[in-house]
Amino acid sequence: MATPTPLPDTIQRIIGIDGFGGELLSMFLAAFLVGNIMLAMTGVAGPWAKRKITAAFTDRIAVNRVGPFGLLIIVADAVRLLSKELIVPEGADRPAFDLAPIVLAGSAMLAFAVIPMGNGIQLADPETGLVFVFAIASIASLGLLMGGYASNNKYSLMGGLRAVAQNIAYEIPLVVTAASVVLFTGSLQLSEIVAIQQNTTLANVAGIRIPAWFAFVNPFAFVLFVVANLAEVGRNPFDTPEAPTEIVGGYQTEYSSVYFVLFYLGEFLHIFLGGAIIATLFLGGPAGPFLPGFVWFVIKIWAVFLFTQWCRSAVPRVRIDQLIEIGWKGMLVLSFANLVLTAAILGVTGL
Amino acid sequence: MSTYDDPETQLPTTEDGDVDEDAIADLLGDHVLDRETHGNAEAYVVRADAVQDVLSTLKDDAGFDHLSCVSAQEYDDRFESIYHLKQYEDPTNEVSVVVPTPRDEPVSETAEPVFRTADWHEREAYDLVGVQYDGHPNLERILLPDTWQGHPLGKDYNKDKPQIVTFEENKNPLEDHARGGEDSDTMFLNIGPHHPATHGVLHVETVLDGEQVADVNPDIGYLHRCEEQMAEKGTYRYQIMPYPDRWDYGPGGIINEWAYARTAEDLADIDVPEYAQVIRTMSAEMCRIACHLLATGTFCLDIYGDFTAIFMYAMRDREIVQNLLEDLTGQRMMFNYLRLGGVVWDIPEPREEYFEKCRDFLDDLPEKLDEYHDLISENEILQSRTVDTGHLDPEIAKNYGATGPVARGSGIDYDLRRDDPYGYYDELDWDVITEDGCDNYARLLVRMREIEESARIIEQCVDLLEDWPEDDREIQSNVPRTLKPDEGAETYRAVEGAKGELGIYIRSDGTEKPARFKIRSPAFSNLSALQEMSTGEYVPDLVATLGSLDVILGEVDR
Repeated sequence: MATPTPLPDTIQRIIGIDGFGGELLSMFLAAFLVGNIMLAMTGVAGPWAKRKITAAFTDRIAVNRVGPFGLLIIVADAVRLLSKELIVPEGADRPAFDLAPIVLAGSAMLAFAVIPMGNGIQLADPETGLVFVFAIASIASLGLLMGGYASNNKYSLMGGLRAVAQNIAYEIPLVVTAASVVLFTGSLQLSEIVAIQQNTTLANVAGIRIPAWFAFVNPFAFVLFVVANLAEVGRNPFDTPEAPTEIVGGYQTEYSSVYFVLFYLGEFLHIFLGGAIIATLFLGGPAGPFLPGFVWFVIKIWAVFLFTQWCRSAVPRVRIDQLIEIGWKGMLVLSFANLVLTAAILGVTGL
Repeated sequence: MSTYDDPETQLPTTEDGDVDEDAIADLLGDHVLDRETHGNAEAYVVRADAVQDVLSTLKDDAGFDHLSCVSAQEYDDRFESIYHLKQYEDPTNEVSVVVPTPRDEPVSETAEPVFRTADWHEREAYDLVGVQYDGHPNLERILLPDTWQGHPLGKDYNKDKPQIVTFEENKNPLEDHARGGEDSDTMFLNIGPHHPATHGVLHVETVLDGEQVADVNPDIGYLHRCEEQMAEKGTYRYQIMPYPDRWDYGPGGIINEWAYARTAEDLADIDVPEYAQVIRTMSAEMCRIACHLLATGTFCLDIYGDFTAIFMYAMRDREIVQNLLEDLTGQRMMFNYLRLGGVVWDIPEPREEYFEKCRDFLDDLPEKLDEYHDLISENEILQSRTVDTGHLDPEIAKNYGATGPVARGSGIDYDLRRDDPYGYYDELDWDVITEDGCDNYARLLVRMREIEESARIIEQCVDLLEDWPEDDREIQSNVPRTLKPDEGAETYRAVEGAKGELGIYIRSDGTEKPARFKIRSPAFSNLSALQEMSTGEYVPDLVATLGSLDVILGEVDR
């Protein structure tokens, strides 16, 4: 399969404006489109789905009064959240306090730029796509620390520090495990990674070709990555930075109104981004039978989202020292073992 | 006569195991100024400067290792502190130590070095009644704000004087609280009174060293509603019974009512028909199940962090118990179901239908508990969070007067339902649950297994009630409309609440209202052990430990 043309080029061809102006316009349009797709999923559908999913896990009914299946609660929620008073605590570190939510939400949005979503929906396809994704996504730690520090609140500070300690501890296993995938593909380009997974055949079972998705090729790495990703997005059992019963709300304790919405949105974006990375690296990206690629991609992201919600409902939170211990003594060692073993096997078999 | 044959214990007890009152008087020797007979035990009046001597003699030489309660009160001519002592071994062995102090100089020696639990109890006595305790490490107000003027249960207290505190005076009440030096590495953190994990309005002043807890001081009183004073303003017969529902609203309402009923019935010598005792036993155990389900759910909430599956499951099952209680009493939480001498009405008609509902609940319960065990107690992460955290040594637990599941989780085999039987418990077949873990996990297991035992009790009660002959269903004995216990009669009685020993002390002055009504709340004593349990642990463990103590602030603050 040839590398699909990135979305801006397609748009430029359709609108037919040449030159720098046309390029700029089509880039803008493409970014607008991708951004809105992600916002529609995370900002609009996400919170509603979260309520429904959690309710199903915990034997409740959830929203069902406003609109069909309670869908219009999304509108009510938006109005409610946006019309609340924006309270900035006394002594807050102003520019940092205001920037933190934007940094958090923005970093996740930016990373979607290089994710191939199928049907040619991809803003850019740099050769170092994977590095770009991890680099951008980890800016979120900065946002969390900024929010925690600038709030002038002890709970926020503890939450911010916990978030950073946690992100550092789990970023390394995450990246090292991703590197073991790169060993197979020999490329950091995301479209290339997807293409190799889809085009290699793992086995033929009863006439059905099973593609060499890395979740099938190396399930161990897949599990490691999913667990590290749970810690990255701060969901149970690794939701210590927020830990409402311990440190109230962690870094977001003092945020209200629009800033809170941005924090909330940023978290959802990061969960979906985690899902997108997992889908791209391990689940063949947008590949899948019958349905269009983009639909498959969305299904895979939502599957990861469902999994995080499941963990949230059913798994206890580990303590902060246990969390760090799992990260440095467990995940790190396992991920390096995975990397070395993968490299050795690849080297010996010469695949 | 006393049996001094056993050199190890040397308990001054008679041959049938009861307290030998004269032997104790001999033991205390010159310290005894006078002797009184209370409804529950013999009382020894001692000098105000001999409190520690007397209590340590009783503790070390006579085995009275449980300071259940300290009741203070003011008479026309004196203040009085009563130390109600029991034995963990056998709580029917009781003595009271009465310490009178003159009104113009109410100073009495503190009991804190002998019993740690006296710390909070004496602070409360100082706060509400105004007795001073000499040598107390921290004689501050405990329930009322520091700026409060006067002692509300004292005789000189002027209720009409407004409590005006200027803003300047109370701007930051914590300003000079212990924060360590300026160059200290610790951080002072207020957990609560508004915090997701304080189970109501508890304020925990913590000093943190990084994430570790260097010091904890629970600050209570935010939910103080003058329950004792309100009870003193009500008549025994009708007006007091609704109040106990508001103490442990877990909902342990019927157990609380029973504590009052037991004390008042003891004071006024009222008999309760057997049929009513069975109904009381059944409904009290329903309350216990509801309380333990709530405790299990919220404890897990503290560990899981969100409104997770286990919390909602516990709430779902508690709802069934509450429906049963609603059918029985007409109320879901504030039952007001017990009456002195019985209960207010019989099992709702049609009886078969009600029993059927009870049986359905009991039949489903084992399956649900299995599900709980799958979800929580067998979960490795939960175990790693709870095993060996919040350690409470049995000796320390006794020193703090811990009772209920908290004591039983530390291996102390102490349950008033068996050891000081009341109601119909001694006729039924059930076990007292203990766990030797001394940690949060052990306390969780105790509660979960106690649910099973309560279910066993309810099942037997339902069987009994179903076969009860129709002409013998007496729900209330004949109690006079106006109840006036003898003047000067005083007694202290306790029942096994969902949180532990719930005791009530009443002194009568011959009128239809009690002259002194003191509540011994189990959660109050259990909470005082928090510092011992959580110092040196991480903040998440502090929260989990607090959850495992299962405090209901309505009961702590009263």
